This record gives sequence, structure tokens and C-alpha cells, in this order.
Amino acid sequence: MSERITLQEIPLEELTIVPGSACQGCGPALASRLTFKVLGPNTIRHSVPCCPDAVTRTPGQGAEFEAGGNALTGTWRALKAIGRTDINVVGFFGDGGTYDIGLQALSAAAERNENVFVICKDNEAYMNTGNQRSSSTPLYALTTTTPLGIKSRGKDTPKKNVPMIFAAHGIPYVATTSIAFPTDLVAKVAYGKGIQGFKMLIIHAPCPTGWRFEPNMTIQVARLAVQTGAFPLYEIINGQKFKLNYKPKELRPVGEYLKAQGRFRHMTDAETGIVQQMTTSYWQKLLKMDEAGEVLF
Amino acid sequence: MVFDVMVGNKACAWGVKLSRVKVMSAFPVTPQTTITEYLSQFVADGEIDGEFVNAEGELATQAIVKASERAGARSFVCCSGPGQLYMHHPMHGTSSGRLPVVMATVHRGNKSMQPDHTDLMSQMWTGWIQWYVENNQEVLDSVIMAYKTAEDKRVRLPIALGYDGYILSYTAEPVEIPDQKDVDEFLPPYEAIPSILPQPGVPQASRGMGGMGGGRDPQGAWKTHHEAVVNSKSVIKEVNDAFGKKFGRKYGNGLIEEYRTEGAEAVIVAMGTIASTSKAAIDKLWDEHKPVGLIKLRTFVPFPTEDFQSIGKRVHAIGMIDRNCCLGLGGAGFQNIRDTLYDLSDRPKILGFYAGLSGAEVRVADIVKMADKTLKAARGEKIDSIIEWPLLGTVSGEE
Repeated sequence: MSERITLQEIPLEELTIVPGSACQGCGPALASRLTFKVLGPNTIRHSVPCCPDAVTRTPGQGAEFEAGGNALTGTWRALKAIGRTDINVVGFFGDGGTYDIGLQALSAAAERNENVFVICKDNEAYMNTGNQRSSSTPLYALTTTTPLGIKSRGKDTPKKNVPMIFAAHGIPYVATTSIAFPTDLVAKVAYGKGIQGFKMLIIHAPCPTGWRFEPNMTIQVARLAVQTGAFPLYEIINGQKFKLNYKPKELRPVGEYLKAQGRFRHMTDAETGIVQQMTTSYWQKLLKMDEAGEVLF
Repeated sequence: MVFDVMVGNKACAWGVKLSRVKVMSAFPVTPQTTITEYLSQFVADGEIDGEFVNAEGELATQAIVKASERAGARSFVCCSGPGQLYMHHPMHGTSSGRLPVVMATVHRGNKSMQPDHTDLMSQMWTGWIQWYVENNQEVLDSVIMAYKTAEDKRVRLPIALGYDGYILSYTAEPVEIPDQKDVDEFLPPYEAIPSILPQPGVPQASRGMGGMGGGRDPQGAWKTHHEAVVNSKSVIKEVNDAFGKKFGRKYGNGLIEEYRTEGAEAVIVAMGTIASTSKAAIDKLWDEHKPVGLIKLRTFVPFPTEDFQSIGKRVHAIGMIDRNCCLGLGGAGFQNIRDTLYDLSDRPKILGFYAGLSGAEVRVADIVKMADKTLKAARGEKIDSIIEWPLLGTVSGEE
């Protein structure tokens, strides 16, 4: 499991050139900044189309949208073949490249247990093309392809549970984290960097433009997602050992998180109630797993 | 020097082994499948010191070798028919990235399980060099030549090596296996240009949305790439000559091979295994005092324009046998030859024959008929049509 660190321990060196193509208050840009501080310069960053267009002080390897997991595989096998296994092979993808079009390649690389680190900055929609729904978009969220209308209340299915899909591959490490919890984020990147095999980290990274809130609220929105249980922070080793990393005595009502964002503002109390029920019930499950210290399916 | 009797797919795997390939990736598909098995066994036995990646599909295999080649490992990929089509997207990235990957395409047509050239022909616009070879010895030799050509600093382009499925892939022929020492002298180790490995103390930066954006001159990138493909012709010839000097075998001039064209009034043009069968037909025709030669079209992309212009000045008719059909436009070879010869002031007649599509058998007698018609056209006799489907309705194996 990852080891707690303090804010003072986060490296000062900047490897992300901000802002790239980021908007004000961009959650994924902060995710990039924190992540690459820990990964360091001995890293090859792999990219697929995503938002924002990250710029890092590391060499890069571009891949087709569907082929992030393949490019990581190719680089890792080449490094193995030429004896440069010291280099970090990292994918820095969005939720589209991870949850949807890139899922097959990542699943295959996970099953082969390639020694690569997949880091997903999850902003819960296709923001690069202007906020269309992805399978990471939560229930009821409005996007340009799940708009409000007389026949639509926004997205009609919940967020795909990708970390648990990868946990089911039995990979060495899968974890979730948030830009509002930088020490948790940094600790998990450091842990993943230090172990062999396929690692995956999903970083919850709000997008003020797509989620419709003021750019100065990014951290607060991200924090509320965790505090309400809408985006729980946990880690799983070898698909078995489980640990909940943020465990308040009581969750805050999920409505606090939803009301902070324009994409959920159309929701009725009844709809909020449905989301609250889903969130509480999943949280109970996670608490049970945390108590047992292992994934219970 | 060792001789063995082996099927085309084994010859291909031997070419990969002798070329000291470091990363291989493939997804099994008939009739390419056994290459994956031979390579896996070579790796399992320690005879290839490299990585074989069992990928989840052909698109994946191409994306894998694109990355491994860029990271500094000589890489190989192979496919067939539908797999070749599925692989299309990252093929553009491999060639745009000027990565000298070598790929074997074991032909399987787009309308059947049987061979024709439509799988690789469908990739005409991907910026890959395309070779079509005729026997198992040429398969093995061409893998080695392909790496030598592709990795040449004047070329730096991927090469697809097409050979007919079943007819070669699963048919055994005697093949000479070159000495590893000779191959090592011929083919130096691969070096990625530029290297993408992190350099301590050297500032590096990457921006990235999957390598899109096209750089500062995205339109110029098309021109540069196009010119690189066209200009590879001289290197293909050079490598073919050098291979001939080192190993005692070469394949025409690398682009085309002329067979009994001296004094010929007409030539037929054929690719792959049909070129092999055509040699027997040409011998028969000369025995009957019919002066028809054969052009084996080996390099299809870049098209050997200059060679055909020179042939066009020497003969009165050219009959192209296309084992493909570019639907709505016609045979790819036929179109290219007509295009190439248009500017000659005294043009020969150019005839087109569709043959061997979906694995239809093309016999010596069939080729003799096509050559006869071409000779008639050369002598100014009236012919019914410029383009024909002479073997229409024949099923593979039927009399």
C-alpha cells in the first residue's frame, strides 16, 4: 500500500509546462503537474487524444486514440529488449482513452501484465471535442450528447466502474485519487512507480468548462466528490488487498456535490435521492471491503 | 550454407530470426497463423533474443511495433486479409513517423478466404513501400533486404512484404538459409532516429495528443513523405545489388524482374506467384516462336515508373495481369502502367486481365492465352476488348 507523505515532501521540480492548452481552473492540468513531479525525468510519457493537451519535460510517444495500451506495450518490450528497464513507461490518458475507445488495449496490456503505469485524469466526458458523454459520465449529468429535453434527464446510466474492472484483472496495483488530495495522489504515483507490472491510477479531475462551475471552485468541487462518497479514494493490490484511503466518520450529503455544478442543476430532489441511495449503498460495500482488507465480489 | 525444405511462413520466420529482430507482435489469422507459431518457438528456444507480444488484434500489433521501433528495437509484424484491413489506422502513424518496421502480409482476398492482392492493395495510401514476392526463397531473402532498405537513412520507411497465402504460406519448397555471420555483416544493428529515450541533463519536452498536430508544416509533411517513398527506388535497387553480391541471389533490379524480354514484341506483367507460373508460359511461347517476355512487378509502391517507360519504348503491347480489382477504377497495375506510359510519344497498347482473384487458379495455359492476346495487340491485330476477366466463373481446382 502507498505510504502517507506530507505536502512538504512533494518535489519542487516542475515537469509539466503549464498551461499547455488548459482552461482556467483545469483539474487535469493539476493532475499532470503533481504526477510528473513524482515520476521524474527518466520517463517516457505516452499520450492519446485527450484534454488538455499536456506538455511535459519528458520524451513523448504518441499513440492512436484506441491504442494507448498498445503503445505502452511496444515501448516497454523494446526497452526490455535493449536493456533499458530503468525508464518509467507511463500513459497519461483521459477517460475516453481509458474507459471507452482505449479499454480493449489496456485490458490486453493488463492481462499480459506489461510493466507500465497507466494514469487516467478522469474529467468524466469527452472534453477535447467539447463535452460529449463518455462511459465515465455520471448518472443524470448533462453533456452535449446527453442534453436536457422532454425525453431526457441527462445521462441515463451510471459511471462505469473501471478501477474494479482492472482490479478483476488481478494486476499489481490499481488506485483512485483526486486532485483535491495531493498527498494521496503523490503517494500513489510514488508507490506505482516503484513496483513492477501493470499499474493503474484514476485521478478525479474536475473540468469547470464541462461541469459548469466557476474556475476558482475546482478544488472544492473535487473535494466534495470525495467527501460525499461520489468518488471514493481507495487502492487495491494484486486485485485482492483493499484499502479505503479517505474514510470520514460520516459522508456529506451527495446533493452538496451535485448542486455545486451546472451539469446536475436540473436534478429533482427525487433524482438526488436516487443518486444518494446508490452512493450510500456502494460506500457500505467499500466499508465492508476495507474492514475485511480485501476485495469482496 | 544450409538448405532446408520449408513452407513460406517458416521462410518468413527464418528471415526474421536472421535479421535479429527484437520485438515481434502478431495476432493469428489464416493463412498467416503459423508465422506466429514459428516465431513463438524461436523465442521459447532462445534462438531469437527478443520479445514476442501476443496481442489482442492486428490494430494492436501495428501500434505495438510502431512504439517499439520508435523506442529503439528492430520490430516485425505480420498479418493477412481481414487483419490487414483492421490494422489500417496505425499503419499511417508508422509511416508518418518514418519508422522502418517490416511487415509480412500473407495475402488473403477481401471477398474470400483465398488469396489475392486486395488486402495489401487496400493499404495503398498508407505510405508504406509494398513488395510482392513469388517464392519461399524470395520471402526469406526479402525480409532481410527489407530491413536493410527500410533502415537506410535515405529511406526510413516501413516495408510491407506480400506473398500469396496457401500457395506459398503452406507450401514447402527448398530454401537456402544464409549464414548468420553473413547476414550480420549485411545488416548492421538498428538505431532509432531520433532516440526518444530520456537523456540525463538534456532538456526534453513533448506535447501530445497522440502525436497529432502535424508539426509546423503539416501540408509539407505530405510532400516530404511522398518524395521519400518515390526516392526509395534507388536504395531498393542498391540493396538488391548488394544482396546479390553477398548471397549470390538477387531479384531483377529490386523493382522489377525482366524474364526473356530481349527481342520480345510484347510483355505480360505479373505479380507474386502468378509471375512464377508466367515464366513457364513464357518459355512455352518462345518455343512456339512467339516473342513475348515477362515483367515481374516486385515493387508496387513506389511504382517503377522509369522501368516501365523504358520497356514501353521497346515493346508494342503490355498485358497486365492484376490479382486485384480497385472497385470502380479497375486493376491497380493496369491503371498505373497506363498512367506511366501516357507521356510517351509512341505508346504501346496496354491491356488488362483480371486473374486469380479470390484464389482462382491461374494455369500456364491461361497465361499463354493472355500473352497470345497481348501479342496480337502488339502486331496490330484487332482485339475484342482492352480489359477482360478471362477466367471468370472458374473455381479454384476445377477443370
